[in-house]
Amino acid sequence: MRAILEGLLFISGDDGITKDKIIDILGIDSNQLNELINELGKEYESTNHGIRIEEINDKIRFVTKVEYKDYYQKLVDVDSDMLTNATLETLAIIAYNQPIVRSQIDEIRGVDSSYHLRKLLLKELIEEKGRSELPGRPILYGTTDRFLDHFGLHSLNELPSITETTDIDEEIDLFDTKYQEN
Amino acid sequence: MDITVINQFEGPLDLLLHLIKESNIDIIDINIEDITKQYMNYISKMEAMSLDVASEYLVMAAELIEMKSRVLLPHPAIEDDEYEDDPREELIKRLIEYKNYKEMTPAFRDLEYNRTEYFTKEPSLNISGIDMTPKVSNDVNMDTFMDAFNAFLKKRELDKPLATMITNKEYSVSKRSNEIRELLSQKKRLTFNDLFENYNRNYIVVTFLSILTMAKNQELIIEQNNNFDELYICRRGD
Repeated sequence: MRAILEGLLFISGDDGITKDKIIDILGIDSNQLNELINELGKEYESTNHGIRIEEINDKIRFVTKVEYKDYYQKLVDVDSDMLTNATLETLAIIAYNQPIVRSQIDEIRGVDSSYHLRKLLLKELIEEKGRSELPGRPILYGTTDRFLDHFGLHSLNELPSITETTDIDEEIDLFDTKYQEN
Repeated sequence: MDITVINQFEGPLDLLLHLIKESNIDIIDINIEDITKQYMNYISKMEAMSLDVASEYLVMAAELIEMKSRVLLPHPAIEDDEYEDDPREELIKRLIEYKNYKEMTPAFRDLEYNRTEYFTKEPSLNISGIDMTPKVSNDVNMDTFMDAFNAFLKKRELDKPLATMITNKEYSVSKRSNEIRELLSQKKRLTFNDLFENYNRNYIVVTFLSILTMAKNQELIIEQNNNFDELYICRRGD
């Protein structure tokens, strides 16, 4: 069993494999699976191995161990995959406000963001999440699993917390709400 | 201030944040008059260096000036319980919101950097249920493909356009004059239209020139009985 799981993880690569799929293939229940993952995980934690098991958004997969990064990085050109500041900024706005349409992103940034959106779409860090009900039914964008992976996050809950927007907002809310006495 | 400094801004909001930071004030306390002045200063410097100022910057400049003019105008007396509209409010809100996201980027940059410390590999092909192996039934073999391809080549041969020669027939005035002489010797009197049976442009021009030349040489007479009547071409001397 453990050997099969190992093979499944190898085949799945950076996409990872969902627990449901493994349960399906191995014909075991989720408790047995968790135990299996635990066992295999422990085995890989030992110094005999250069890779370990990682859980990301209900999927599990193999990743290389951080402690040997200096060697691995000699093999891979790391910088080429980094995003520019402007693209990163655009991506952050999408991540915290998804689903969001382009005009809203442009509004926040004060500049046209279509170039960065294209780049993010190409890198599969964002994807279309349907259409907004706004006039013209513009495309809604949201982040992908690849986005989580790109930043080493396991779910959207792990996004760095952001300063909640301003007291002015609350002030406006007060005027908007129809306050009723008694 | 050099060009690289100017180009590093991500947009008008970014530039404004920079200006505010430079003058060491809180966003909430910005003075529209001052900030507009600094902003316009910046824009004109960009223009002086013949940088193409993106339209977004100009839009912001217009908004700032509009805000400034509203601030400068005398306010009508405001009733106590009436809410005074602060023209800066919208701008301050946008600046703070933008600043929030801008300040998040280093956090993402760190995460991104940390993520480069471990690696994964591409998944093997053909997972996620998409079978990419070609489906070929048993009675198909290499010969079938060869036959099919040969048949296709043959068909293509038939589709080939027939070889045709495209020629440009040259007309000359002397040649056409001879033709007209020939016609006149047979019929003596022709209508003008008789000579233009072919609508090719060269033909028309050459024929017309021929008629004029022959008329000039006193070889033929052009007749017309009444205005707008048909023109007749007659051989001279008959």
